[in-house]
Amino acid sequence: MTALTTPAALDADAGAVPPQRRTPYRALQPGRAGAAVRAVLLFLAAVVTLFPFYAMVVLSLKPAGAIVMPDSLLPWPLSTEAYERVLSAESVLRWTLNTVVYSVVSVVAVLFLASLAGYAFARKRFPGKEVMFWSFIAMIMVPYHVTLIPSFIVISEAGGVNTYWGLILPTLANAQAVFLMRQFIKSLPDELFEAAMLDGCSEWRMYVSMVLPLIKPILATLGVFVFLWHWNDFLWPLIVGQSTDMRTLTTGLASLNAENAPLNVVLAGSVVAFVPIFMAYLVGQRYFTEGVTMTGVKG
Amino acid sequence: MTVSGIAVASRRSLRRREARVGLLFVLPVLLLFLAFRFGPAIAGGVLAFTDYTIGAETSWTGLDNLRRMIDDPLFWRALRTTLIYSLLAVPLSILASLGMALLVRRSFRGVRLFRSIFFLPVVTSLVLAGIVFTWIFSEGGPWSSLLGAVGLPDGSWLSDTALVVPALVIVAVWTRFGFGMLILLARLQDIPRELEEAALTDGAGAWHRFRYIVLPELTPALYFLAVIETTVSFQVFDTVYVMTGGGPAQSSYMLVFQLYDQAFRYFDFGYASAIGLALFVMTLVVALIQRLTLGRDR
Repeated sequence: MTALTTPAALDADAGAVPPQRRTPYRALQPGRAGAAVRAVLLFLAAVVTLFPFYAMVVLSLKPAGAIVMPDSLLPWPLSTEAYERVLSAESVLRWTLNTVVYSVVSVVAVLFLASLAGYAFARKRFPGKEVMFWSFIAMIMVPYHVTLIPSFIVISEAGGVNTYWGLILPTLANAQAVFLMRQFIKSLPDELFEAAMLDGCSEWRMYVSMVLPLIKPILATLGVFVFLWHWNDFLWPLIVGQSTDMRTLTTGLASLNAENAPLNVVLAGSVVAFVPIFMAYLVGQRYFTEGVTMTGVKG
Repeated sequence: MTVSGIAVASRRSLRRREARVGLLFVLPVLLLFLAFRFGPAIAGGVLAFTDYTIGAETSWTGLDNLRRMIDDPLFWRALRTTLIYSLLAVPLSILASLGMALLVRRSFRGVRLFRSIFFLPVVTSLVLAGIVFTWIFSEGGPWSSLLGAVGLPDGSWLSDTALVVPALVIVAVWTRFGFGMLILLARLQDIPRELEEAALTDGAGAWHRFRYIVLPELTPALYFLAVIETTVSFQVFDTVYVMTGGGPAQSSYMLVFQLYDQAFRYFDFGYASAIGLALFVMTLVVALIQRLTLGRDR
């Protein structure tokens, strides 16, 4: 590190700007040795972070048979055998379909219902509003596992076990989504809503043609978050989608894993489950990081 | 009717219309909450005092489930394992988050790529992580090869009663550090650069700048992370289910796994609800501790 030891008193000198003042940002950057240490640490951390993904992909491309360390980690010989088995297995295709239905329907429904409610909480006056809103928020504090069993009993008594609606309906009561929508809509300028009111816009048209376009940013962020949560969800699909046909990718792969299916096949299935998330992550990384940090990823 | 009378009447009807629309827009979410959040939250408390099971008469059992819990060595064991797991996973993942946030804090070529890489495990499902890490920790897998190469015992950690929890902790750190990194990174970027520059000109070394400028600024975020990570750790389930099934010899049997086991393998919903209640109390205590310590700081 260079020129860091100039006493502060010298800076007080009128006139010439000391060099470290001119490039203060540089000064906080690590020196050459520091940068080298940082590069090594980053590289090691990246290897550790990426290794499981690498192993997942490479091992899924191995022919069936014993996996030998470290030879199996070499990217050859390759074989698409596991993928042929996975993609021809009716169950994996069915699980993918189930996962898509579970995720997509939930995203659309949560965004629609939460934005309606958030709009009302932010802009409408009606009796019981405050009590209702704050009791929604209080539910964020109640752990998922306390309501898990009663929710299952409700669904089970209503005949919702092994159905899409049984899978989806309980997850639509999303307090965080309502909260974020309300906060966002509240932060929009009042004049917009007043002008539309004076125009005599019908309430429904106001929601469709004014509120929805305005909340696009939060729709994208929240949508990605809800999608991610449902795509990766495990415990709820595990107890509601019990039949082989109603499993999602996560519960289906866990069952393959538990039945000691060949590792390359289970990993090929894992790649199939991971690719959509990975693609979406590549395209819309900003929404992922925003969605996850804003809501504090579902635990 | 006077002009002002008409105005009042129309304002009143407008207000009524507004209330109707407001209620109508909230109604679907309200119904969902009644059925799947409010109702179940209350029922979850009530069930703990019954012997509810599907397809049988339910009766009040008073404090039987709580008494049974207190006498159940498996519950205490699950509680202890959950606490040990959390005591390891929470500080380690926060430390990893902090270290990584500091490493990718300043911009340099490729910093965005590194940030993206480190966040990738956060968007990966715990089931996939569990499947891959089961292989990584298996006999003759990469982890045991690595340990063998440096002369350590190279058995499978997942079949070792003492090492299975540390193995799960490693997976937890891998899946969680990117989240904490991002939270801390956002705070780090809010620290006015002038503060650190001034310290630098005063001759403060890297450690002193971290200790006296950066760390105090990060404290609220670290508290926030500690609470989130503790809650997540208390509720660990997916990796246990996929990687160990609570074994070997129940040495990784933790609370949510016991809840699942009681409810969906033994159909003892009453007892499972009592375990859920215990989890709720634990989460509440953590939130309370956070409130109190944060209050003291302020």
